[in-house]
Amino acid sequence: MSLKNIYLLVTIILLIFKGYSCERLHELIYSSIEGSAACFRRLNGTHQTGCSTSDKGAVGVVHFVQDHDDVLWLATNASAGPYMAVVSTSKFGLVEFLIDHPTNIAGVLTYENASDIPSFFTHDTRCPNEFSSADGNQCSSSKEGGVVWNEKGTGLLKREIPFPIFFIPESRYEEIEKISHCFGRFNYDKNNQRGRSLCSIQLNSFMFAAINTEVCMRRSATSTIVTTTKVCDPLGDQNVYYSLFPRTKESKKQSITLVTARIDSASLFDGVSPGAASSVVGLVTLISAAAALAQLIPVSKSNLYDTNILWTLFNGEAFDYIGSQRVAYDIKRGVWPPNAPLAPTDVKLHVEIGQIGGSLSDYVNENIWPLNAFVPTLAPSTINDGENDIQIFLKQLSNAYNMTIPGIFNGSLPPSSIHSFRRILSNVTETGEMLEMLLVDHKETFTNVFYNSALDNSDKIAYAYKNISMINNVTFISTAELIADGLMKETDTQVKISRLATALAHALYQRVVGEAYTGNITVSAHLVDEMLYCFLKNETCKLLSAAEFGGNEGPREGAGPAPLYVGVTSWNTVAPVFAGHLLALLTGTQLSLNKSQCETKPESGYTRLWLKGWNHSGVCIETTMNFSQALSPAFIISDYDFKSGTYSTWTESVWQTMWARVFVSASGGSACVAAATGAVSTLIAALLTFWLRRHSSLIFVDPPSATIVVDDAASGILRSVNC
Amino acid sequence: MTLAEFFSCSLLAFGAPIVMFAMTVATDPVRIIIMIAAAFGWLLSFLLSSLVWYAVVPLRSYLIFGMIFAIIFQELFRYGMYLLLRKTEAGLKEISENHEIGSNKLEMAYVSGLGFGTMSGAFALVNVLADSIGPGTLGLSGGTEYFFVTSSAMTLCMILLNTFWSIIFFSGFDEKNYLKILWVIISHFFVSFLSLLNSRELYAASILPSYIVLMITSYIAFRCAGGSSKTFIQSFSARS
Repeated sequence: MSLKNIYLLVTIILLIFKGYSCERLHELIYSSIEGSAACFRRLNGTHQTGCSTSDKGAVGVVHFVQDHDDVLWLATNASAGPYMAVVSTSKFGLVEFLIDHPTNIAGVLTYENASDIPSFFTHDTRCPNEFSSADGNQCSSSKEGGVVWNEKGTGLLKREIPFPIFFIPESRYEEIEKISHCFGRFNYDKNNQRGRSLCSIQLNSFMFAAINTEVCMRRSATSTIVTTTKVCDPLGDQNVYYSLFPRTKESKKQSITLVTARIDSASLFDGVSPGAASSVVGLVTLISAAAALAQLIPVSKSNLYDTNILWTLFNGEAFDYIGSQRVAYDIKRGVWPPNAPLAPTDVKLHVEIGQIGGSLSDYVNENIWPLNAFVPTLAPSTINDGENDIQIFLKQLSNAYNMTIPGIFNGSLPPSSIHSFRRILSNVTETGEMLEMLLVDHKETFTNVFYNSALDNSDKIAYAYKNISMINNVTFISTAELIADGLMKETDTQVKISRLATALAHALYQRVVGEAYTGNITVSAHLVDEMLYCFLKNETCKLLSAAEFGGNEGPREGAGPAPLYVGVTSWNTVAPVFAGHLLALLTGTQLSLNKSQCETKPESGYTRLWLKGWNHSGVCIETTMNFSQALSPAFIISDYDFKSGTYSTWTESVWQTMWARVFVSASGGSACVAAATGAVSTLIAALLTFWLRRHSSLIFVDPPSATIVVDDAASGILRSVNC
Repeated sequence: MTLAEFFSCSLLAFGAPIVMFAMTVATDPVRIIIMIAAAFGWLLSFLLSSLVWYAVVPLRSYLIFGMIFAIIFQELFRYGMYLLLRKTEAGLKEISENHEIGSNKLEMAYVSGLGFGTMSGAFALVNVLADSIGPGTLGLSGGTEYFFVTSSAMTLCMILLNTFWSIIFFSGFDEKNYLKILWVIISHFFVSFLSLLNSRELYAASILPSYIVLMITSYIAFRCAGGSSKTFIQSFSARS
């Protein structure tokens, strides 16, 4: 055959059989479920909480759960092995039944559906941080009666769950559609599932830690010769603090007003903790009020006044008040803030911005935002004279806010960082030397029904980004102008938060200076809009690009907001760094130094930061902002008794990987056929071979004769060699 | 359940060859050596064909192109094994303690074919078996779980076919009977092309004709080795 003909033949064959592409068998069998967030294990002094799977993961047959009949069927009548319940977040209450009857359940896959938003979704306990609350707390999970703060709370965040739970966010809804198609093709006939191929899911979220914090810390500390295998890490991160006037060891004694808020949130699922109503509203209020106050009272006037304001953001508050316990403990020891420590008697007033975000969605069409102030310290006899320092401040605040903020004097104190100060610094809090006030938007039970959950996102505070450009890239447009120009309305969340922050700034001005503020500096709703965008929508935003370290490369690929979960101590998260740098940028003094000069030692009481600046070319900021470690005292006290319950003992388990995949499981029919044919064919081969060997002389009667010529030379060589 | 699948499919594909090995090859060291050498020869042929596949980049996604070259190289290496065995026959007989070796010329052909076939079966099936262990099976993106059974059945067919092809091939070259060689090559191409139908899930259309070819080839090999249906039936009634 000539070459030309061969080519022709090959071409013809190729045309007939074109395109049999090779695909990896593995890719045809399994389809990975991307973007899922898993429930993981945390431990405290006495228990382990959360979920874990075995080393190989958990496999279960898919079943979509829509109502109570479905869960009943799963628990009682289902026959085809362990099941994986797929349930929407709006029906998450059904999972409680599955937890009580877990024998037939391998795991739960829950998904968020924009067209089916649940009316509540919170998994913190009904009395959050119950065991770290001060005396007089009337919220109890074991006793009846009393006030219940988080009424819809399931407590799953602090309970042990017998199977894994994975969460699919709205952005990945196509994974649920994929599973739904698979379910429709294979699992539709509920009653005949045995012995058929069924759509199944495998979840893997193997956790290394177990039992409780004491045991896992002991296991982590036992070092082998070469390496230490850590199985858990204590929860912790950084607190952020900033003082209006610089504080040094030598500066005269000032009375301090501590204004605090929490910065962290929590949720059952790893990496999904938006915390809009739970934390971000309070955080943004604090930062904007601090920025406004810095403009109202410039740092140059620091020696005119006796009062200093110390703004602090606590981290880890969702887990038995890690940040505030550590600060209170440090104040007691006289080591906080690190460069110029306070004494407990220095702090005259502690104002905490608590849960204020929950009611924003209730008042979405009105331009009021009612708030309350819980005041735990006052003895009943001192209330009525109205001369009390705290009542004065409350009145000033109400005036500035243009709306009365009623004081609640004899109620149980809601969950807040104030509990840590009342427990640890009881010397000054119970005598009234340190007055305390908690600003909230609820009276008896939280208005935030998504408290510490994965669904606490920007929709729940009625926030929509306005995306207004700054004047000259430097200045924010004032609220009055925004409303006059129609860019914002009085009922917008941004305007409400800016009004509260303005009121706080003006009231604190009056506290420091002694006279009411008469100027027209207010907090800009434009600034609030940008801040909310940074913390709720996308961490690649105008404010944070200006506030990050000057040496960093260009903008990150924005993959959404930074999660607010406190995380483990050994890895600092970005949210406190963002908040701190933002405070520095908005309140600090700009120095005309270049980068290397900026790194020299600053004056005492200040730190210097080289930040990007508004035009991204680098700017040296001198500020009193700094960070302090937010790690529970339990992990720094040697020989601490983890069962004592004095301090927070939360740790998080180490894990290697968490994944989920969907596939079709075998019915066993193929294995049976293969086994049967295999046995038969092996038997036939054995019998035939045996028979042919035994009677080979009879059967192979006419074999091709051996033509082997025995070559003597070769045999001679071989015989003489010793093998 | 799929661990059962793994073991059943392994039994189906490798049960018969292992039994044949245990009964005929494992007792004699020289036969073992030849079998391993033949397996290595198949490996070399596969290496060469994969090099060709890798080199011709635009045709990589066309399985059939690679397949043609693989078949050509396999047959070339079968011929190479033939030459090797004929040249070393004398030496093997010397070192063997079994004085019956070489009494049937095609004994070496059978052993070499078994080695060829086992290695080709291992390469064909090991990846598939590894995927059969996992909790999932085919179905999500098409196909059914019967893919594993059919793969094992085809593998068994190929192993046995390779054994018989070697017998026919060696016999053809010994007697200069080119019809036998042509049968080997054409049936090899035919069975391989049939397996392409598996991707369209026409499992029956690929397995049944392959087993028919196996039956025919085994009968031809039986005749080449000197047997006939008459002597086979007589062996049942004879008392020796």
